[in-house]
Amino acid sequence: MESHQPVKTSRRRFLGTALVGLVPKSERRIEGSFVDDGHEPGHRLRDHAPFPKPSHQVKVPVVIVGGGVAGLSAAWRLEKRGFRDFVVLEMEQRAGGNSRWGENEVSAYPWGAHYVPVPDKKATLVRELFEELGVLHDGQWEERHLCFTPKERLFLHGRWQDGIEPTLAATAQDHEHYRRFADVVAEFRATGQFTIPMEAGARASDLDRVSFSDWLQKQGLSARYLTWYTNYACRDDYGALASDVSAWAGLHYFASRQPEDEGPLTWPEGNGWIVRRLLAKLGRFVRAGAVVYRIAPEGRRWRVLTEETEYLAEAVIFAAPTFLARYLIEGAGPVRGFVYSPWLTANLTLDRWPGERRSEPAWDNVIYDSPALGYVVATHQSLRSHIDRSVWTYYWALAEGAPAANRQVLLEKDWNYWKEAILNDLARAHADIRACVARIDILRLGHAMIRPTVGFLGSEERRRLAEPHGSLFFANSDLSGLSLFEEAQYRGVKAAERTLRMLGRA
Amino acid sequence: MPLVLFLSVFLIAACGLIYELIAGTLASYLLGDSVFQFSTVIGSYLFAMGVGSFLSRFLARGLVARFVTIELLVGLVGGYSSAVLFLAFAYTESFRLALYLLVLAIGILVGLEIPLLMRILKGRFQFRDLVAHVLTFDYLGALGASLLFPLLLVPRLGLVRSALLFGLINAGVALWSTYLFRDQIGARPALRAACMAVLAVLGAGMAGAERISSIAEDNLYADEVILTRQTRYQRIVLTRWKDDLRLFLNAHLQFSSRDEYRYHEALVHPGLAAVTGARRVLVLGGGDGLAVREILKYPNVESVTLVDLDPEMTRLFAQNEMLAALNKDAFKSPRVKVINADAFPWLDESREMFDFVVVDFPDPTSYSLSKLYTTAFYRLLAKHVSRQGFAVIQSTSPLFARQTYWCIVETLKAAGWRTYPYHVYVPSFGEWGFVLAGQGPYEPPARLPDDLKFLSARDLAPLFEFPNDMQPVEAEVNRLNNQVLVRYYEQEWNRISR
Repeated sequence: MESHQPVKTSRRRFLGTALVGLVPKSERRIEGSFVDDGHEPGHRLRDHAPFPKPSHQVKVPVVIVGGGVAGLSAAWRLEKRGFRDFVVLEMEQRAGGNSRWGENEVSAYPWGAHYVPVPDKKATLVRELFEELGVLHDGQWEERHLCFTPKERLFLHGRWQDGIEPTLAATAQDHEHYRRFADVVAEFRATGQFTIPMEAGARASDLDRVSFSDWLQKQGLSARYLTWYTNYACRDDYGALASDVSAWAGLHYFASRQPEDEGPLTWPEGNGWIVRRLLAKLGRFVRAGAVVYRIAPEGRRWRVLTEETEYLAEAVIFAAPTFLARYLIEGAGPVRGFVYSPWLTANLTLDRWPGERRSEPAWDNVIYDSPALGYVVATHQSLRSHIDRSVWTYYWALAEGAPAANRQVLLEKDWNYWKEAILNDLARAHADIRACVARIDILRLGHAMIRPTVGFLGSEERRRLAEPHGSLFFANSDLSGLSLFEEAQYRGVKAAERTLRMLGRA
Repeated sequence: MPLVLFLSVFLIAACGLIYELIAGTLASYLLGDSVFQFSTVIGSYLFAMGVGSFLSRFLARGLVARFVTIELLVGLVGGYSSAVLFLAFAYTESFRLALYLLVLAIGILVGLEIPLLMRILKGRFQFRDLVAHVLTFDYLGALGASLLFPLLLVPRLGLVRSALLFGLINAGVALWSTYLFRDQIGARPALRAACMAVLAVLGAGMAGAERISSIAEDNLYADEVILTRQTRYQRIVLTRWKDDLRLFLNAHLQFSSRDEYRYHEALVHPGLAAVTGARRVLVLGGGDGLAVREILKYPNVESVTLVDLDPEMTRLFAQNEMLAALNKDAFKSPRVKVINADAFPWLDESREMFDFVVVDFPDPTSYSLSKLYTTAFYRLLAKHVSRQGFAVIQSTSPLFARQTYWCIVETLKAAGWRTYPYHVYVPSFGEWGFVLAGQGPYEPPARLPDDLKFLSARDLAPLFEFPNDMQPVEAEVNRLNNQVLVRYYEQEWNRISR
């Protein structure tokens, strides 16, 4: 309960306000709330709470569970192959998964994944999709979808520097270790082991048996800036510290792509832009707000139960996070070794830009030594030359500490706590941030990203689940150990193709 | 005692003259034609003083209190006259009305001062001495003011604060009079309180004027600032020195009225005259309407669409008498349509085609502005220009910012345009560059409109020749995802401005 104190105004304050407004402006009120984060149905599933019996039954050859990028990519492939007898069941009110997005009067903005690196020639699936969406034509990327310059900046020693790799006041050791690390990465890149999708190149590796931070130590790569930077990369891509992921995963971030300065591809609503276009093509197959609470074999078929409808399917593509299998699929045992990082994403609506000297906001803005990951400017890709209001998407992977404990913290703390934490963090780089922000909406994600822990790549469990189970196909990107758009799309398409083959429609 | 008394005469005389000088100066700055402005201001001011002197006969009793009240009124009205006139010019259409009303009001009040004072003092001196002394100090005050005004006040304080300062002096004289003549009126706390209040109001104006950025701008700009306006999008500043009117947007010079015809004739005619029978023209940027003025010289042009971000800017150049005179009332033409929008998204959503497009954006000083100089923008532009048509792009100086200029040319080429770069000399800018861009070949037109001040058809071909120090240099193509142009621009302009 809040205590309600009587409103008392000191005489001086009253006089000051009445006369000339001499009293310093009182702090502005910042609106906002938690946004619907789907943990409620999720926890009901976990706790085996009773769900109402569906009132009617539908026969449909294929059910796709989960409307994120993996599920929609499966749908995309099925539809493209001329197969239209399927539904996509999405637990939330809107499809999108980690690529979900929002929109207000200022801008569209992402709630999760917000870019796709420019895919190289080998990434045929991604290129196929982008050609379809007009992002790629005649081998040229559409300029307005490539991230505009200035792309990235880092707040370090009280000022902004270009790029996220810290260089301001770098020591000779910093430079030396950057160079050596770059050499090692180039060698690993040349081995062809680090690919996207990872399945194409990954093989059993010693790098999977040591943490990234230990491996760096062993290589003598311990310079302060490199340590921060590699840690940042792991927090950004895996929501985990370098000590909590395998060296294989840590290196994959650097070695899987050729350095290029064209991209990445990004949109105001992040990868929600892609989802929107997929939904324009496939929306008729998607049932949003359909909480699947049970998947049970019945003869050669599957019964997929939601609160309203029971689907009777010949095949199920399970594109939801794989850990949910134990709660949904009858007879499925616990899923071992799948660790997920909890995240918090906030969208800040700004009435005006904070004051800046000698720098302009970039697309991605990172604060050195912050526990969070920084913010991305949703209006950055706007064609307008005058933008007076903006939306910033603030990312915070709760990497420090155990995921389960952090999930508890995520649930326990109220909105005000996070609001203050976010503003205090941003105030390091933007002293006047509180005067600029009108709204902060916060999304809490308990299981935001798969964590490629030591040994996960080579784990039997991961490989077992990635294989078909009769007419059940797992398709989530967590099977790759990498929470990437490309992996989700690859897994979804692959599951679709396996399904078609099984149904004899290939 | 007598000297102290006559010092008041000296001071109020100085105040009276200062207000007159301020009104005359302001009218000359803002409306031009200083002979006319000074004559009419002085004439109506003296006439109003006569009216005041005449009216003084109707004031019979309580002369000291009346005198103090009049001093306070003069202080208030005169003190704020300059601020009110600036605001009237910037925000209303009736500057002249405000000017003459103020001149008359101050004149009448000032005209009351001396007759009242002489009547107050008449018991203390011989009439002969009184007239001699009062008039002596009156004229001395006028001399002091007329010397102080051009030498110290205008250069040091500016017009707004000078007026306020003399308003304070008037109010000071009023307060002082309540003590000087206390034998006649006794202690009058209410009157003194009124004096204090007026002093406070004027003092607040003084303090406020310190903070008003126009004061700071007086230092920034070489010439007298006659209008400043902070819009949602930019800071508009207009300065005047003699007949030279200059417009600054965010402190960047946009034009000087002395030579803008060179810029705008060069911007429009080499391209537009080459499109035979051009009917539809688009202007992006150029909210001053000066390019539109040139376009309207073509009877075959049926419609001109002007897209400028800032509604304040287009409204100012449509409605302000002096500014609308510069563009020859271009915005009143039924052929002209003004749209206030951000150019890139507007073009992105438009389906209209044009025979000629003028792209007159501010220089690429920031990443946001440099979006308007990218392959993405020029590709989009190409979709809106007819096959026989052309676009012309203002492209900064090929002399001072050589790589910037050729980068724009390269970018246009990369976006599929054929380019025809040219340049002219504009004294207030220096060498200035433009790029004509079309889908087909370009031949300089054989005929131009008749009434041009700068260009003639025979002079066109040499504009497309570049001397050695402006020859093409290598430059990357400016794209949204590299924005090399901002870097070039910064490097090159920093080199000269240091």
